Amino acid sequence: MARIDLRKVSVEFPVYNINARSFKKRFLRVATGGSVVEDANQHVIVNALKDITLSMKDGDRIGLIGHNGSGKSTFLRLLSRIYEPSNGDIRIDGNVSPLLDIMHGIEAELTGYENIITRGTVLGLSRQQIKEKTQEIIELSGLGDYLAMPLRTYSSGMMVRLAFAISTSINPDILLIDEVFGAGDADFMEKARKKMVSLLNQSSIVVMATHSDELIQEFCNKALLLEGGRIKYFGDVATALEAYHARDKTKQ
Amino acid sequence: MLFSRANSNSIRINNNMSIKEAAVNTPTELSLSRDDASEIVYPKTSQIQLAWRDITDGMKNWRIWLTLAYQDIKLRYRRSVLGPFWITISMAITVYTMGFLYGHLFHMDLQQYYPYLVGGMLTWALISSAITELTDTFITSDGLLKQIKLPYSLYVHRIIARNMIIFFHNLLVIVPIYVIFHEGAKINWYTLLFVPGLIFLYLNALIFGLILAMIGARYRDISQIIKSLIQVVFFATPIMWNPMILPEKDRIFVYLNPAYSYVELIRAPLLGTAPTLLNIGVTAGMAVAGGLVCMKLFTRYRSRIIYWL
Repeated sequence: MARIDLRKVSVEFPVYNINARSFKKRFLRVATGGSVVEDANQHVIVNALKDITLSMKDGDRIGLIGHNGSGKSTFLRLLSRIYEPSNGDIRIDGNVSPLLDIMHGIEAELTGYENIITRGTVLGLSRQQIKEKTQEIIELSGLGDYLAMPLRTYSSGMMVRLAFAISTSINPDILLIDEVFGAGDADFMEKARKKMVSLLNQSSIVVMATHSDELIQEFCNKALLLEGGRIKYFGDVATALEAYHARDKTKQ
Repeated sequence: MLFSRANSNSIRINNNMSIKEAAVNTPTELSLSRDDASEIVYPKTSQIQLAWRDITDGMKNWRIWLTLAYQDIKLRYRRSVLGPFWITISMAITVYTMGFLYGHLFHMDLQQYYPYLVGGMLTWALISSAITELTDTFITSDGLLKQIKLPYSLYVHRIIARNMIIFFHNLLVIVPIYVIFHEGAKINWYTLLFVPGLIFLYLNALIFGLILAMIGARYRDISQIIKSLIQVVFFATPIMWNPMILPEKDRIFVYLNPAYSYVELIRAPLLGTAPTLLNIGVTAGMAVAGGLVCMKLFTRYRSRIIYWL
């Protein structure tokens, strides 16, 4: 049974301006006695997430909404355990599969098959499991003989097909999605949609960040609205979307 | 001095963020700390446990880093006819011309000098490229680091494994030496010391690789500094020259140079001799000291690495 609990979690980024990053400045600071460039070397700290307290349990399909920079991606990376909280407690039961940037790690010089093996290994699959998944990936991507060719010969749509097919071939307890839907022709979009639905049904918790209201209304039973790194609203989808769009209206 | 300054500054950041309060759970504790559903028990794992787990998980996931290391090599030589054997060929051209040139310039006995130079150059190529690439470990893998949670030590393994694979390709270069210059290079029981030597070198690369990778990610100038320092160390270490050409009182500087001992660890068995006790002592001392520093730094800054990228 999968479960996610967060208690007063904050994520703070130290932003190193170019000054602080460079050893030269550090050296100069020592050399000049420190006081002169001290201000320039102060680290700016960005509160990407602040005081997040919530629980997610089996069956939750959560749509993550918010404007750019509201902390959606940071939140997904926090749940993927990539970012560790700078404050607060987090508890995640169940294995997590992030679909954050499916195109990353796809090597243009390698063939489709080689990419399946590398990608599968990185995602933690054994050689045997990869072999079993390969057939599935071939069918979903519909690339056929092209899989024996290096990816640089693919069109961008074909690359997306392969990346999508590989990334969705694992069945996690907790699925984290960051704007996966996108390219591909109509035929593939239909297949991808079906795959996505079956993946959503298999996973016990899904957190999906997207700007599309339709997707959230279709797939999610809860919504989390983030604003400036804080929870603005967590609960009913319709209310969350209303609150999300309310800000746009007042602006106009 | 510089470093202590840098250190205290970073500690301040840490205190602001009270990193110690943060805790991240892992599936292994699932059954242990699960309570009634009403009361959520948050796992409290200390930073040192997390650091240690990162290192053990890094070793357990050997399939991942070996695959990635192998892929790196494959990618580098894709579409070339000879593939990775270009490593061997370019190395062979370098060392054999160098041996010929310097052997004549310095009026060395080629029977002794050629094997010494080739053995030293092969070892040095491994050490120097490992050091420069390890400094950039986290910078070059930032895409993967930000996409999926894997142990940090795994990325270090990847770089070392890649360099080890290249080293084994380079090793072919020494084969003709055993035939042509059999006076200076012999295959005997001492040759077997090559295996523990390489394993020990791997361990050292892991320790210092983690340290360098962390510093390299935090201070971007470091990798440039290392690159130029490596050149200096190359000339200061007996690789192209034999310490015996120095007057006896000056040899102490050579013996205190850890790079010399690391090179000897591999070069001596390649030539059919054993590394001296001094070599073993110096490298063991370095490993222990490095291991302590590494554990200290890694415990304190492990969770911060991702924010430096």
